[in-house]
Amino acid sequence: MKTLSLRNLGKTYFDPYAGAHVTAVHDVSLDVEPGEFISVVGPSGCGKTTILNMIAGFIPYSKGDILLDGKPVHGPGPERGVVFQSFALFPWKTVLDNVGFGPKMRGVPKAERDRIAREYLALAGLSHAAHRYPNELSGGMQQRVGVVRALANNPDVLLMDEPFASVDAQTRMTLQEELTRIWQERKPTVIFITHDVPEAVFLANRVVVLSKGRVLDQIAVDLPRPRVWDELVKDDQFKQLSARVLQMVRAA
Amino acid sequence: MNLMLQIWAGYARLTRRWPGFAAIIPFIPVLALWTAVSEAGLFPRAFFPGPADVLRAFVTLTYKGILPDYLQDSLIRLATGAAVGMALGIPLGILIGTSRWAHRICWPVLLFFQAIGDIAWLPILLIWFGFGLTTMTFVIVYTVLFPVVLNTVLGVGSVPRDLSRAALSLGASRARVLWEVTLPAALPNIITGLRNGLGYGWRALIAVEMIVGTSGIGFMMFDARRAGSTVEIILGMIILGLLWYIVDAWILAPLERATGQRWGLVTS
Ligand SMILES: Nc1ncnc2c1ncn2[C@@H]1O[C@H](COP(=O)(O)OP(=O)(O)OP(=O)(O)O)[C@@H](O)[C@H]1O
Ligand SMILES: [Mg+2]
Repeated sequence: MKTLSLRNLGKTYFDPYAGAHVTAVHDVSLDVEPGEFISVVGPSGCGKTTILNMIAGFIPYSKGDILLDGKPVHGPGPERGVVFQSFALFPWKTVLDNVGFGPKMRGVPKAERDRIAREYLALAGLSHAAHRYPNELSGGMQQRVGVVRALANNPDVLLMDEPFASVDAQTRMTLQEELTRIWQERKPTVIFITHDVPEAVFLANRVVVLSKGRVLDQIAVDLPRPRVWDELVKDDQFKQLSARVLQMVRAA
Repeated sequence: MNLMLQIWAGYARLTRRWPGFAAIIPFIPVLALWTAVSEAGLFPRAFFPGPADVLRAFVTLTYKGILPDYLQDSLIRLATGAAVGMALGIPLGILIGTSRWAHRICWPVLLFFQAIGDIAWLPILLIWFGFGLTTMTFVIVYTVLFPVVLNTVLGVGSVPRDLSRAALSLGASRARVLWEVTLPAALPNIITGLRNGLGYGWRALIAVEMIVGTSGIGFMMFDARRAGSTVEIILGMIILGLLWYIVDAWILAPLERATGQRWGLVTS
């Protein structure tokens, strides 16, 4: 497990239509400890996706550094797993082969990567769906596959950009509870981007609030685990934290 | 009313059991009309033969072995042209679809040559290669190539960005992404291109066989014109339609639908 550091990270886009430069991320510094679960919230357009895409290596950064254990990262790599809002499952591959894709790219033989994939599918309660194709699954199931596909590759950091935004409210709560459970079992480092403040507080050890391309504030969340919605909706500390974060986001 | 329902139910059962029937039944009125006109004696028999005459010609030509030979020649030419067209078209389409530079350089050239229809090449091809297989193959490859290239470019361009990103962040190299993501994602489009290309190619082949051929269905029809044999001409026309129907409806369309649906790129 490695430490992820963002040092004075900045991103300026060139908008060819307006003919002007747009600074989406001004100056972001953040240290993420191994095994930490960080939620990032902030108003629309504050640069959340841009930051995540830079960490994932999908887009280059304009200034500053992204360091993984002190080494700068450039371009995508398997040590930074990504879970997409669009799920991004390979529709021509079975669920098993989707989850085994990372190991396959590492050259793991078929029998072994099937074993790994089955282990992770079991973790998400999806063993029965191993031989189905993504378009035969519900949205919630597809995103479970998306999460374990990233985990099966054993990444140092798991990057998630509003992964549960396109599933219904009930399924979302189940997925959140499952994610905390899986995180407790495996302790991957997670950076989780969301619009949903209760979701951010529910999942994280620490909530980072962004505003206009800068870190506005950070709030530690030391609610006990395992966290389940039935208990937390009644929990005063949870309510207070959520209210505080919400206030910040709205003022941001 | 009751009788209509029963006929309808019978039709439904029949076509469920043998789906081929659903395709045959619409032709029954066409055949009936044809028979009626030819039997009415409005035109001389030699000028407007009926279905029975054509069927008789079919049996005779098949028995003599001419028809099977010609059919085989035409199909082999089409298959060769299609294979070469795909072997050139798919890689070219992927190159143009993935590389901005290749796109800039090749696209205008491609559109220029696409505008010169296959048959428009015949005069110069006849001077260069003469009346032979080379000329025919060139025309077929030429016709198949463009739909395959254009659709492959389209397919490559429409690969969802998140899919390539997902593969990259799971550890795939650029080359692996091409093989594991780009190609399969573009496959439904490639098949559409092949389907269009074969359709155009089949028509071009017949035209070329009429001018260049020494065998083949097109040659048979044009040769029959010299002998004034309307029966053979009509037989040729029917074979063209029938064969294409079989290839398209039974092979290409299901293939296109299967990949499109399984891939989920069509439905969702
Ligand atoms: N490719 C691009 N070219 C130009 N400007 C861009 C580009 N991508 C994003 N931006 C701009 O950068 C800013 C930040 O965008 P970003 O997508 O990171 O915001 P976000 O916080 O993820 O928003 P949301 O919550 O709506 O997803 C926005 O003002 C956006 O318009
Ligand atoms: Mg975003």
